[in-house]
Amino acid sequence: MLDGEFGEACEIAMSVLVKLGEIYGADRMQNVENVHIDGSAYGWINDAGLEVIRKLASSGGRFRVPATLNPSSIDFDMWQELKIAPEVSKKQLRLAKALLSMGGTPTWTCAPYQYGAYLRFGQKVAWGESNAVSFANTVIGARTERLGDLADVCAAIAGKYPRFGLYLDENRRGQILFEANRLDSDAFDSSDYGVLGFLIGSMAKARVPVVSGMPEKATFDQLKSFCAAAAVGGSVALCHLCGITPEAKTVPEAFHGSKPEEEIDIEAGDLEKTRQKLSTVNDVPPEVICIGCPHCSVQELVKIARLIKNKKVEESARFLVFSSRAAKTLAEEMGAIETIESAGGRVIADTCWNFIPSKARTVMTDSVKMAWTSLGKFTNVTLGNMETCVDVAVGAKPRGGPP
Amino acid sequence: MKKTVIRCVPVSGGASKGEALVTNQPICLYDSLDPKTGRIVNRRHELYGQCVSGRVFFFPYGIGSSTSAATLLETSRCKKAPAAIINLETEPIIAVGALLAERFYGMKIPIVHRPELDPAEAIRHHSVRVDGDLGLIEVLRHS
Repeated sequence: MLDGEFGEACEIAMSVLVKLGEIYGADRMQNVENVHIDGSAYGWINDAGLEVIRKLASSGGRFRVPATLNPSSIDFDMWQELKIAPEVSKKQLRLAKALLSMGGTPTWTCAPYQYGAYLRFGQKVAWGESNAVSFANTVIGARTERLGDLADVCAAIAGKYPRFGLYLDENRRGQILFEANRLDSDAFDSSDYGVLGFLIGSMAKARVPVVSGMPEKATFDQLKSFCAAAAVGGSVALCHLCGITPEAKTVPEAFHGSKPEEEIDIEAGDLEKTRQKLSTVNDVPPEVICIGCPHCSVQELVKIARLIKNKKVEESARFLVFSSRAAKTLAEEMGAIETIESAGGRVIADTCWNFIPSKARTVMTDSVKMAWTSLGKFTNVTLGNMETCVDVAVGAKPRGGPP
Repeated sequence: MKKTVIRCVPVSGGASKGEALVTNQPICLYDSLDPKTGRIVNRRHELYGQCVSGRVFFFPYGIGSSTSAATLLETSRCKKAPAAIINLETEPIIAVGALLAERFYGMKIPIVHRPELDPAEAIRHHSVRVDGDLGLIEVLRHS
């Protein structure tokens, strides 16, 4: 592949992957079974990324393994209504054309593990998108490094990625133990799982955390929220949740029989402090309320519909729900989309809150990931949960108290 | 005598110099750096308002988004890239940005990591040369 026998695109992809492997001491290249491509939005990869991907596509690039795509910069159905700049849409359509010409699966979602990607325990894959990487390693026990944008495209073209980091047993060994036994986690909702994930991520930093006392009944959506928040709180790509993570049924198994470098008890007060840190305001009426970071599942769309049924979103607010096309289509058949939209909300597919033009200063969300990463776009953020987000959207005052 | 050469592990080749820009706070380039201006735009980061262009940028390690690779690449395209990067540990995400910048834009961003000692205080307020082939940081003078 390196000598150009498989075409120029393959040569470029392999040369980048081989150099990366050399830097990180990989012993060899390995086959990967599928790829999730993070850099599928023009708004994320900019002109440089678009130029690189178009160059790869025009020089014969073809994905050798299934490759799902992260969100795009636009909802392909309603970008005009959302007032996306025509220039951005034009470039996004060019990017989509190049990615699809190489064989990309147009999932346009940051949660491909919900719809479109197929993972199993122990499988070697090459994924970008920090929440998806964290979910694949933590919940499924598939093996992936955190791929940078465009390295994922290279991996899809080569069907390979260098073997280092989290592909190797020794780097999956737990290093720091968090005891969550004392938390009233039975009463946790998705946003509480997010707060817990953020706290653990920020304390673990680059170490592999192990959590004991996580309820085994945690739902797929709650784990999604946990993994996304752990990935933005630190650089967590794998968190052993004892009893949930397939390779960490017990604490000793998670540590591969060795001793934790550090043990930390998490108390309810720690979570409350973390939750407060994630909001910059708590009593300012938000102009925008966003749910769906990472993208809502069908079940979450149905829940939002149940909460908002027969209510009306305030004239002064926008209530935006983000999901994948696949989930939206299913929820549509179940009547959930009509319920949300007739209440004045909008269910947006294919894209991310990042790309919705807005002059709003204050945003409210149930997502810890969004609360932490949205301050480039908004001035103020309030973290709630799904219920309080809907309540505020339909006119309740945000909960007071210090931010 | 303060040590003026710090040995590191090379990540990305080339050699260049600039004034040091130092933070001990990990950073996500994607949500913190505007690639078109080189400025740090994340209000939660202590370098908020500073410009990385032409500077020798030290941060301990990257966090968060995988998009940071494309962010670094775009700074190269816009000619706003840092002169060099020094990390305690460079993530593959950052390394990929530099590899692509060289391959597609012919621009080298020397990167070194795993220094023999934490260089933050030794390089702060100094002009610094980074050799990404040999894996060296040289502290040149007070700026």
